[in-house]
Amino acid sequence: MKRAFTAIFLLCICSGLASAQIGMYQHGSVIRMHMADCGVTRHSFITNFGSPATPNVEEYCPEYTLLSDNVVYLIVGKSSSQLIPLAQSIDFRLQKSELAVRVDDAKRESKFTIKEMMVRSEWERIQRHMEDRMKSSEEQTALKSRD
Amino acid sequence: MNEKHPLSSLLAVFGRRNRLRLSLFPLVLVASFFPSHSAVGLSPIGAEDPGNDTYHSTASEVRLVFFATDEHNHNVQDIQKDDFAVVDDENVIREFRSFTPSASIKLDVIVLIDSSDSILPHFQQEITNVAQLISQSSWSPEDNVSAMSFAGLQAHLICSRNCRSSFTVDQVVPGGAATPLLDAVETATTLLSQRRQPDVWPVIILFSDGDDTISKASFKDVQERILATGAQIYAVDVRNSGRSRTQNATLQSLAADSGGRCVWLSEGANEIFSEVIDDLHSARVVTYALPQSNSAFHSIRILPTHNLNLQFRCRRGYYHPVAGLHQEDNP
Repeated sequence: MKRAFTAIFLLCICSGLASAQIGMYQHGSVIRMHMADCGVTRHSFITNFGSPATPNVEEYCPEYTLLSDNVVYLIVGKSSSQLIPLAQSIDFRLQKSELAVRVDDAKRESKFTIKEMMVRSEWERIQRHMEDRMKSSEEQTALKSRD
Repeated sequence: MNEKHPLSSLLAVFGRRNRLRLSLFPLVLVASFFPSHSAVGLSPIGAEDPGNDTYHSTASEVRLVFFATDEHNHNVQDIQKDDFAVVDDENVIREFRSFTPSASIKLDVIVLIDSSDSILPHFQQEITNVAQLISQSSWSPEDNVSAMSFAGLQAHLICSRNCRSSFTVDQVVPGGAATPLLDAVETATTLLSQRRQPDVWPVIILFSDGDDTISKASFKDVQERILATGAQIYAVDVRNSGRSRTQNATLQSLAADSGGRCVWLSEGANEIFSEVIDDLHSARVVTYALPQSNSAFHSIRILPTHNLNLQFRCRRGYYHPVAGLHQEDNP
């Protein structure tokens, strides 16, 4: 009887932890992606400690703009093959100075370096400003071509 | 809380226990900062009336042919439109106007045959395979098949559109010291471009050893022309399959940039046909609204939305002229 209670108790704790883990995730959507230089840090390390004969092979890592409810993140993968599934909505959580993205329906997480962050309202304000500038330039170009 | 103040908003978001170092500076998003004219997609452009007035219209749709394979490089047939996203000039696109299998598209195929001296030891095998490809492949009745040979200084058209009924092996005469490979590809691409129609898929099947010796066109020129046309290149390396990637780099690059494949003649006719023809049949076509960009060249990449084992192959990008853009802005 005592063992049964212990088992039930442990089960409750485990399920509680699991639900807490799931609850930790925020949701976001990747809106932009490009391949960027993997980082100055790695290059300088190779330059300082690598053998002189080591060829300077440029590696490009994926860089994503991740839009969440309140914050916009610019995150960078640690290798060229570290990809995020580009679903409409992805789950992620902040872990120390990194951003962990849930991949393959929670079977594993993939960690990305946070390169930049910005409040979404501020980001949207900049976007509107950019769009306005673009529209006015388009109008000017249209006027010129009409002339 | 004043939402306009970045620091206060961030503190509200993360709370005081969050130890993240927050670097607050704007995310500089490359696209959509400078104007782009009305988008010119890859669909038909322009219309003129018979009178004096000229009406200009611009299309704003990108049409993309792609292939999906699994982790073992086998074609995946049951791809749905929510299984992938297109990254067009950094913009992630998930909203598609259409998604169809390529079986509904007509093919305009040019078979380019290297008949220069450098491939003489393999010429008989090459020309036999070409004949089999043209006559025995399961083309659709509406597909056009043309053939060109190249040696010496230029390419020669053997038959145009109707090669399935008119091509014979003796029409290709071997010989010619030089190999104008890139010039021949450029000629074929120009021909495909001149007769381009929106619902026709241009394809080049190139039989060669990849050694160019005399072309006037540069590799970059040809690459750009291929991307501008949207032609897909299947390269058949007529030399043995033991050659490394660097040894047939020209053929590999031409094929990969266009979204095609490079195969070896020594693999045998059946293997080549299954590689090329199965590939053509397994393709998917997706269309989407042209994203805004200040760059004339749009790089393209297709990535999975759920299953990271899926791999997608398509052309490297396309050109969309932007008014007022300098040539240096192009790659």
